[in-house]
This record gives sequence, structure tokens and C-alpha cells, in this order.
Amino acid sequence: MSVINFKTNIYDYLETLPIFTFQRLFQKPATCLAIFRLLPAIGRQIVMSILYVENPISLKDIQSWVYKDGHKKLQEALHKLSKLHILEETPEKGLIVNSTFRLEFKNALSGGGEHQSFGLPCATVDKHKVDIAFLDHFASTQWEAILHYMVGTTMTKRPSRGVLNLLQKSDLMNSTASESGLHITNKGFQFLLQDVNTQVWAFLLQYLDMAEMLKMDLVEVLNFLFQLGSLELGQDYSVETLTETQQQMLEDLGDYGIVYRRKKGSRRFYPTRLATTLTSGTSALVTSLSKKETGTAASSAMIAAAEESHDEGGFLILETNYRVYAYTESPLQIAVLNLFIQLKSRFPNMVSGVITRESVRNAFLNGITADQIISYLQTHAHPQMRKRAPLLPLTVVDQIRLWEMERNRVEDKAAYLYKDFNVQADFDAAEKYAKDLDVLLWSNSKQRKMVIAQEAHETLRTYIKRRLAGNRDTG
Amino acid sequence: MLDTATSEDDTNLLVTIVDTNPLAWQQSATAKIPLSLDDAIRQILIFFNAHMALKHDNKVAAIASHIGHCKFLYPVTDAETHRRQANQYKISKDANAYPNFKDVNDDIIESLRSLMLDTDTPQKNLNDGTSMISGALSMALCYINRIMNQDDLGRIKPRILVLSVSPDSPYQYISIMNAVFSAQKMSIPIDVCKVYGGEVAFLQQASHITGGVYLDVENPQALLQYLLFSFLPERYARNYLCLPNKEQVDFRAACFCHKRIIDIGYVCSVCLSIFCSWSPVCSTCRTKFAFRALPPLAGKGRPAISRTASPAPSAAASPGSSSPMSTT
Repeated sequence: MSVINFKTNIYDYLETLPIFTFQRLFQKPATCLAIFRLLPAIGRQIVMSILYVENPISLKDIQSWVYKDGHKKLQEALHKLSKLHILEETPEKGLIVNSTFRLEFKNALSGGGEHQSFGLPCATVDKHKVDIAFLDHFASTQWEAILHYMVGTTMTKRPSRGVLNLLQKSDLMNSTASESGLHITNKGFQFLLQDVNTQVWAFLLQYLDMAEMLKMDLVEVLNFLFQLGSLELGQDYSVETLTETQQQMLEDLGDYGIVYRRKKGSRRFYPTRLATTLTSGTSALVTSLSKKETGTAASSAMIAAAEESHDEGGFLILETNYRVYAYTESPLQIAVLNLFIQLKSRFPNMVSGVITRESVRNAFLNGITADQIISYLQTHAHPQMRKRAPLLPLTVVDQIRLWEMERNRVEDKAAYLYKDFNVQADFDAAEKYAKDLDVLLWSNSKQRKMVIAQEAHETLRTYIKRRLAGNRDTG
Repeated sequence: MLDTATSEDDTNLLVTIVDTNPLAWQQSATAKIPLSLDDAIRQILIFFNAHMALKHDNKVAAIASHIGHCKFLYPVTDAETHRRQANQYKISKDANAYPNFKDVNDDIIESLRSLMLDTDTPQKNLNDGTSMISGALSMALCYINRIMNQDDLGRIKPRILVLSVSPDSPYQYISIMNAVFSAQKMSIPIDVCKVYGGEVAFLQQASHITGGVYLDVENPQALLQYLLFSFLPERYARNYLCLPNKEQVDFRAACFCHKRIIDIGYVCSVCLSIFCSWSPVCSTCRTKFAFRALPPLAGKGRPAISRTASPAPSAAASPGSSSPMSTT
């Protein structure tokens, strides 16, 4: 679920970029690789199939590689490929891989070229070497500080001004005139329920928007983000290969806990787990967070890596009687749970509560949707829960959705009322036409009245006019 | 049967068996369209990188099927990794290469080098100088089994790719077929890419039985293109792509007694062992066949050749009789 979320976000963003930005992005193999991984499976295969083919391939040939029931998927894939400017159409109606992309992606596969885009590890040994456990700790404290600030727990230090600025710009928090300080918005509540990876990307996309305003070079910012995704955890990298913009970014990213530097102006930096999982879509930080909370601090990289692939850091157990048991002692997670669960009791290593109509409605009032609650429960389900199918008790899931539907009993739509038809036949014809277009909201044949969705008003009006004029001519 | 449903989020495990038989590669390097082992490895490494590029968590494993023995090229054992690190190999960190790709490539090259330098391997078990495909298949299946047992969520979708240059070795018939049937039971497709050399009946059967891809490479110089086009698609994408397979599969079997590849032979009605010539006792399950007066074998010595020499008792299927079988 997290994978899909993140993909659509960054993908949507990339789609809006103009073609010459792509031409420059493609000059870095690390970026090519990261963009390539955003494609659907069929799209990736097609790129690989024709990567080493120098001549354009006709669309018909490509279609013949796919079975009939795969044609829809193929269309979708080709559409994405051309949106991202990876596939280009030649004048002779053939398809060919963008030449820059082809060259640099080949470099990525064969390790050739002189692009330095995968990060230069430091040649010398760091005197103040840090290990992975330290990096995890650093990343989680920095990131949690932001989240803590958002939910309003006052136990951590205030995030830096850059972060506050970003929170405000992204509409996750806003300041009210009456009180000092920032307040969390509806969007902020939704943000809290997402997994760490999605949160980080949402943050970074916002950062990209700001970068444009600050006259930073967008391509360099994007290149650096994609490069971070290809780095190795626990390795120190030199800042030598970075451009000025990118060195400037290091400072901001340090505030979010994405990279670690011992002090400003240090010649080396360490990517944290937040950075190395950027392009993979796995939310690894949750694991390290919950693990630390249960007291078994990750001492060695081996354990962390092993557990990362096994349990997905779940701590929630949901029963059919709406009770929730959460094995956590993190004030942050408890605060998030408190958004939609009525907490009953708290123990040293767990809290328990119950999902009630009131608690869920409170969440809805904060702008949280039923789907978000359900997906939160799903992604944080305890490994024991994962053995069951379906994962969550159906009764609870259905009930949460029903509670949401309760709030949407009345729906408003902009519309036009049509009345005073002189002839029943005219009315019937217009009604049928509207039905065919699927824009008829309501109609009453006896009173010759009907209500049409706003967007179809023009179409229907011309239709009726034409019909009336036709009647007059023949009559 | 395991669950075969695939989704786009699956992790793909590609276990590749590289036939490193030096004799066959020598022939391939001097063929009309030459391809030396060096060139092939270069292209295969790019293929591995392409596989890992497809998805962040895609995994590869490589096994060398050498003369007389086989060996894991990647992943290497922990002890081996330590030894290599101690030898100061792998210090060259490079900003121009994706670290994941580079680690795998370096490990495979280093493993191959030590494999080729190692000439002390006992030379007596060489059979007929063919490579140990059966051993490599078993190692691949064991490895896959281990990985899948560690994966609780069932997200890992394995497949096996055999890059073959050696001819069939009838001595390995039984073990190859056993491995193939295990693969079928675990629903692991076995893809076969015949880089050099003639038809290989057993591997054709392997890919046919397990639903894998079979391809004869016509132009070995373009090996990479063949690999990327036909063998790269992951299990999920295969639901939608037309991939090559063999229309005419060579179903011949090897007999258990003389390891000859035969069209027609005798099958023990109890244990289904295959023999090229009639014998009174099944050598596998020790069943004594009912003695019937047999027509003379026409002095040719090879009853398998013609049906007229077939001595099948008319009380065909009852245990303790041996009946002729057609395997074509």
C-alpha cells in the first residue's frame, strides 16, 4: 500500500515537468534507475527489451509481444513511458528509447561513465565513525521531533525554523491569529496516519516546490534525492562530488533526519535509513522505532536488516469486538492512535482501547477518512495478525465504513433545473438523452421537470434547441 | 502445489546456473560465430544488473556447473567473504557504479576466477567431460527452498535459468528428472537458454514440464539481447507476454542400465525404470519378471530399435512382467 502511495505521488510530480528538465535529469544514471523503477512491470520489461536495440520499433511489433488480455496494461505502460519522455516517437511512427536515457541507463547497468552519480565514499577513515544503530536513532529522533511537534506533545525540542516553515507552507499546520504558535490542520491529521516513507516523500515534494521558489536548481535537487536512494546505509560519503545547491540541501535534509553530519561544514555525510529507503518504498524506520521501544535496541546491523525483511514493524492487534491492543510505549504512536481510538488503559509496554462510533466520528471531524484509518490499521498490524486472511476483522472494517457513510447522507451538486416543456415527446427525448449521457440527477415525467448536472448543461441545451428547431421546421 | 498467484509487488529470486564447462566454451570460442566465456560472463553480468534494476528487492543467485562438480558463485559463504575482505580485495569503492550491482558483480568475478584457477579438483569423476547440471539444479532447489522457508509472507517468487553449453549427459538423466519434478511440485519454472551446442533433450523436457522458457541462441554474440528479451520478464509479467518455448520437445529418455538415450525400450511395470535391453530382474526394484519363452533377439543385440523384437508378454500389465514402452 505504501508503495503505491509513494509511487503515485512522486510520479505525479515528475509528470508535470517539461521535457528539457527530463533531458537534464536523464544525464545522471542514478536518476535514470530511480525513474525506471517507478514504471509498471510491463513498462520496465519493454524498456529492457528495446534498450539495446538501436532502430525504432513499430507499435504493432510491440503489441505483438503481449497477449490479448495484456493489451490494456500495455497501453497504460506505453502512456506512462511517453509521459516520462523515456519512449519517443520517430517521424516514421516507430518508438525509440530517448537517446540520453538509453546511454545513461546502460551506464547504470554496466557501471561505466564518469558521472559520479552514485555518491563518492570517503577514502579516509572517519575519526568519529558512527554505526547504523546511531544513524537509526538519529533519524528517528529527528523525524519524531517533527511529528511530536505536530501532535502537540511537548516532550521534544522544537524543530528548526526551516521545518516549521515547510510545515506551514505544506498546509499541514497553520497559525491562527488569536493564539501564538502553529496548529495542526485536517491535512496534518491525514499526514500522521500515513507510513514514514509516504510522509518523507510528501515532505520532500513540498521541499521541491519551495526549492523552485528559492531559485534552487530543480534538476540538481531531484538528482540528489534520487542519488540518496541508491546509497548504502552506514557508509560515509564525501561532499566533494556535490554541487553547491546540493551541499545547501544537506543542511535541510539533516534537519529532517534524512542525512547525518557531525557538524555543519563537515566534509562527509552519512545517509540514514530514511534516505536509503527513499526509492524502495519499504518503510524501514517503523521497524527501528518500534524495536527500540520494546527495549531491544538495534545493536548490530545484521539484526536490523534481518528483521526489516521479516516483520513489518506491526504492533497493533484488532479484535472482532472492536478492541485494539497496541504494543507500544511511544507517546507519538499513542497520540496517533488517540485520533480514532478511545484509549482505556495503559501498561508499561502496551495500551488498549476500543473503536467506538464517537471516537471514529471525532477522527472524521478532523478530516480523516475511513480508508486512512483502515490502511493505518493494516500497515501496522502485528505479525500475529498477518497470518490471518483477511487481515482485519471484516465486521470492524465494514462498520468503520458505515460510520463514514452516515455522515454523507446528503450530497450537493451544482445543477440546472429544466421545466416547462410544452410537448411530452420533447421532454421524453431530452430525458432519454440525459440518461444516455449519465447526467440525469432527478426527473419527474408528470410535471415535465428534470435536473441535470451542471457540466452537461451546454450539451443538453443545444440538443433541446436543435430538437425544438427541427420540430418547428417540420411542423 | 504451491500458490502460484503473482502480483506486481512480488520479490523475484533468479537462480542462474551457468555452465562453465571449459571444454565446451573452448569449442564455442572457436565456432563460426564465436563467443568466449569472458564475453558471455560480461553480458550475463549486465543481465543480472538488469534483473536487480527491475525492482529494489529483486535477488539473484548464481551457480557454476563445472566439470565434475558445481559451486555457488553468488552469494558466497560468510567465511569466504571474510577471506576476501582480509585479502584487501573489494576496496575499490566507485561513485560511478550502483553499489548493489558492483558487489554482486565483484563477487561473481572473484568466485569464477578462483573456480578457474582451482585445478586440483578430483579429475576421476569426469564421466564424459560434461558439466554437472543435475548437481547444480539440486543446489538451486535447495537454496530456493531455504529462502522460501525464511519468507513468511510468501512474497518471493523464484525461478531458475540454465545457461547451457554442454551436450546432454545421460549419466545424469535420473537425477536431472528428479530435480525437474521437484521443481514442478514447487511450481518453479526452469528457463533454458542454449548458448552453444546441439539439442539437449533433458533440459527441453525440464522447461516443458515446469512451464519455463526454452530458447536456442542463433547468434551467440547477441546473447544479452536474447537474455533481456526472453528471460528477464518476471513471473508477474509473464502472464501478459508471449515468450518463446519449444513446440517440438524431445521426450526421449535415457535407459537406467547403459545410460543410452533411447526411443523405445522396456519399462519395469512396478517401478517404471527404463531399460534398453531385456533382463530377467529389474535392477532398481529387484522385481523378478515372469519368464516366458522369448523369441530370439535376432542377434542384433539392440531390441530397442524395432518393435518386432518386442518380447512383451501378452498378460501385459500384471506385476512381474516387463512391457515395452514408447517414449516418443
